Amino acid sequence: MSSLVFYLLTVAIFFCIYSIYGWGLNLQFGLTGILNFTYITFVAIGAYFAGVAALQPGNGGIGGQYILGWHLPFPIPPIIGGIAAAILALLVGYVGLKRLRSDYLAIVTVSVGQIVWTLIGNITPLFNGWDGLAGVPQPFNSIFQLDFNHYQWIFLVICILFAVLGFWIIERLTHSPFGRVLRAIREDEDVAAALGKNVFRYKMMAFVIGSIYAGVGGALTIAYIGAFNPSGFTTMETFIIWAAMLVGGSGNNRGMILGAFIVPVLFNEGTRFLPSTPGNPLLAVSIRGMAIGLLLILAARYRPQGILPERKTIFRLDGLQQGGEVGGDRVVPQ
Amino acid sequence: MAIVSFPSSILKVTNLAKSFGGVKAINDVSFIVREGTVTGLIGPNGAGKSSVVNAISGFTQVDRGVVELAGHDITNQAPHRIAARGLIRSFQIARELQKLTVLENMMVAPFQQLGESPWRALISRRAVMREEREHLAAAVDWLQMFNLFPLRDEYAGNLSGGQKKLLELARALMAKPKVVLLDEPMAGVNPTLTKTLQGYISRLRDQGVTFLLIEHNLSVVEAICDHVVVLAEGAVLAEGQMNELRETEEVISAYLGG
Amino acid sequence: MEWNKRARRESCDVSLLLMGVGFGLITASVLAIASVGLTLQFGVTNFVNFAYGEFLTIGAYLAYFFSAVANLNIWLSMLLAALLTAGISWLINRVVIQPFLKRKAPLLILLVVTIGLSLFLENGVQAIAGPSFQQYVTAPGAIVNIGPMIFTAQQLVIVGIAIVLMTVVHLLLKYTRIGKAMRSMSDDPDLARISGVPIQRVTDLAWLISGFLAGLAGVVLAINVTSFTPALGSQFLFIIFAAVIVGGIGRPYGAMLGALLIGLVTEVSAMYIDSAYKTVVAFAILVIVLLFRPQGIFTSRGRV
Ligand SMILES: Nc1ncnc2c1ncn2[C@@H]1O[C@H](COP(=O)(O)OP(=O)(O)O)[C@@H](O)[C@H]1O
Ligand SMILES: [Mg+2]
Repeated sequence: MSSLVFYLLTVAIFFCIYSIYGWGLNLQFGLTGILNFTYITFVAIGAYFAGVAALQPGNGGIGGQYILGWHLPFPIPPIIGGIAAAILALLVGYVGLKRLRSDYLAIVTVSVGQIVWTLIGNITPLFNGWDGLAGVPQPFNSIFQLDFNHYQWIFLVICILFAVLGFWIIERLTHSPFGRVLRAIREDEDVAAALGKNVFRYKMMAFVIGSIYAGVGGALTIAYIGAFNPSGFTTMETFIIWAAMLVGGSGNNRGMILGAFIVPVLFNEGTRFLPSTPGNPLLAVSIRGMAIGLLLILAARYRPQGILPERKTIFRLDGLQQGGEVGGDRVVPQ
Repeated sequence: MAIVSFPSSILKVTNLAKSFGGVKAINDVSFIVREGTVTGLIGPNGAGKSSVVNAISGFTQVDRGVVELAGHDITNQAPHRIAARGLIRSFQIARELQKLTVLENMMVAPFQQLGESPWRALISRRAVMREEREHLAAAVDWLQMFNLFPLRDEYAGNLSGGQKKLLELARALMAKPKVVLLDEPMAGVNPTLTKTLQGYISRLRDQGVTFLLIEHNLSVVEAICDHVVVLAEGAVLAEGQMNELRETEEVISAYLGG
Repeated sequence: MEWNKRARRESCDVSLLLMGVGFGLITASVLAIASVGLTLQFGVTNFVNFAYGEFLTIGAYLAYFFSAVANLNIWLSMLLAALLTAGISWLINRVVIQPFLKRKAPLLILLVVTIGLSLFLENGVQAIAGPSFQQYVTAPGAIVNIGPMIFTAQQLVIVGIAIVLMTVVHLLLKYTRIGKAMRSMSDDPDLARISGVPIQRVTDLAWLISGFLAGLAGVVLAINVTSFTPALGSQFLFIIFAAVIVGGIGRPYGAMLGALLIGLVTEVSAMYIDSAYKTVVAFAILVIVLLFRPQGIFTSRGRV
């Protein structure tokens, strides 16, 4: 296989995965106005739990220290990853979502990100510490027995299936009465509460569902790469997804696809060829981080609604059973 | 003040008190609102009218006192619980959901919509759509009634001040409330429409909806309120029918002096 | 025999405890400087600055530049670094933050901007100074024993600096007109606006003071942890959050007490558990406070 095809396949796979990440974040922020500044931690929890669900039992030796090791076949690890991320979201949401001000959840998420990162690194028996998990089996490849290059095609198909399902679900939710309540909460929590909506509960649902997207995306990532460690979920990773959402269009799932294409591809791939100086091995990474930060600020400044802004909902009114004359007898519409 | 509990009182406020720092915004307020009436709540600026509405609807936690709705103690309950019991409020400064269209603002209002459950939204698409059509029909009726129908697909944030007040009122009514608390619903609404609104409120009252109405225009109050509570400096100054209160010296001095 | 063992452990515990208290006082000093800076700015502007951790980092690296490259004395370097960080903080408010406030951007967007800023600044420092560990070339000074507590002269200076700064902040808030204006903006922004508080001046000053305290805190933090990377501030940020929230966000005196509490509890606990987990203790306190007293444990009523 030519290296160009290989490269394009990799890009396509990450494009699918970033779209999935993005839809979850978009549900949280774009639709509901929830600030999750450590979205990548939910990705990581999904990845780790999916990883240890798919791996053989750990041998307890070097590189083999991890929990579970259930050796489960493919569609199950992503489900476990999604559930794990959802449980973390429940805990975090319980602490952070009850407060009225959005800063509090943001503070809680920043803190949770730090803590989870430190704990996963330091407590080796969980997920093999700073070295992380490796050798996670590729989905279905025990059946196909393909080499990595050809296996790419299989994995792309898997990712596309997940992305299509994920898009279908998120679109339905966005354009349902549920999505409407979330947007009402985003605009004004008090109004939503005054209309009888349990704001905490709805925010929690949005937070959890969004985190499931993160977890499943993480599960796909570890299934693809086969490995995962704490350097895979740094703060910068969260903000690549944020930038993708803001650039593509927050509140618009199609815009999110666009953003998932533009930002990660452009930034990860575009800055890959920056020179790495011997004195500063992380110069390219640093410049990438600066660029993402700058992009966030500029997007917020000049086009906070994104390239594809949230679409206006227009109801079709033909064929309605209407209540007759204005000011007629029936004042309270039935 | 002793309060006689009428069997027909749907909202009862007893010895309510709330301070903000040193300011006693509500200072031992008691009154009842009887079912199927329009009760006016009047008083000079800063008298505590909005604070009373906030306290009843659960938006401020009171220091003391009891609020009962249809016999249930709702004191300091969460706003959404109180709303779910059928008490809907409007806000003094209109709070439209800006990036929702006028029609969507209306569609948020109905209680316990099937499609508000994410699960149902996914799997019971047809039933959800059916319910949406029903709500849509009601919403269109209300919007036509309030002359907002031509603006239905406009973002609510783009409406004029008066239109926002109308939308706020229409949205409250869309929720099919038993009791409606309206905080100056006619401020900024043109005189013709004010007249029309008065007509609707009276008619809704005749259909059994109860109103607590904060209003500055005393002739409006006189025209539609069955009973009026006068607040001043956080306390009930007087109570009765508007035409009687007009004669009361205290009320006159509170308004002119205050 | 059982009793004997316990008694011995207890006497051992007491000196361990006191040692922890000693470390705790130093951490509390660093934390107090940082927390007051964050909370003062919050009080005036009413939003959390998520780039605040990077202000500490910038301070630490500027002082590194002055002391290691320009060969200045560490305390002089600290002062210069703090002043420069104050200027940077002021500039960031004017250039980055103010345009959003002028357009009345929503709070959510403002917070996203500060987090974008944090990413930009941390990576900026890393691009310039590199990712590897740095260390000031300073002598920790003579060892001072106070009971079982052991301090270096340097650590005592840090505690002294904190006490002086807290006193200055107190005098500023209590007795100067601009300090009173800051407090009134913090207590009731609308009322302050109506009653003619010079909003722009107070806001500028808040960012200046906040930046100064952050820069200074960054240097003493770097001294205290001995070696540091560009992640210095961002890793410390949530401990600052913990102190600020414990004391009631936007309340300078609360932040001082919060810093004392968090400093003591984390360092004392580090005597008994692996010190890698002392941040977990700070986190636990943050969570408990948010769950049960989100307005802070030293305040009667809150602005949550
Ligand atoms: N959230 C609040 N914080 C501090 N003071 C308040 C608050 N809400 C109301 N007040 C004070 O309570 C008093 C009554 O206000 P309000 O209920 O708005 O009066 P009205 O609606 O009758 O004009 C006023 O003095 C006002 O300043
Ligand atoms: Mg009012």
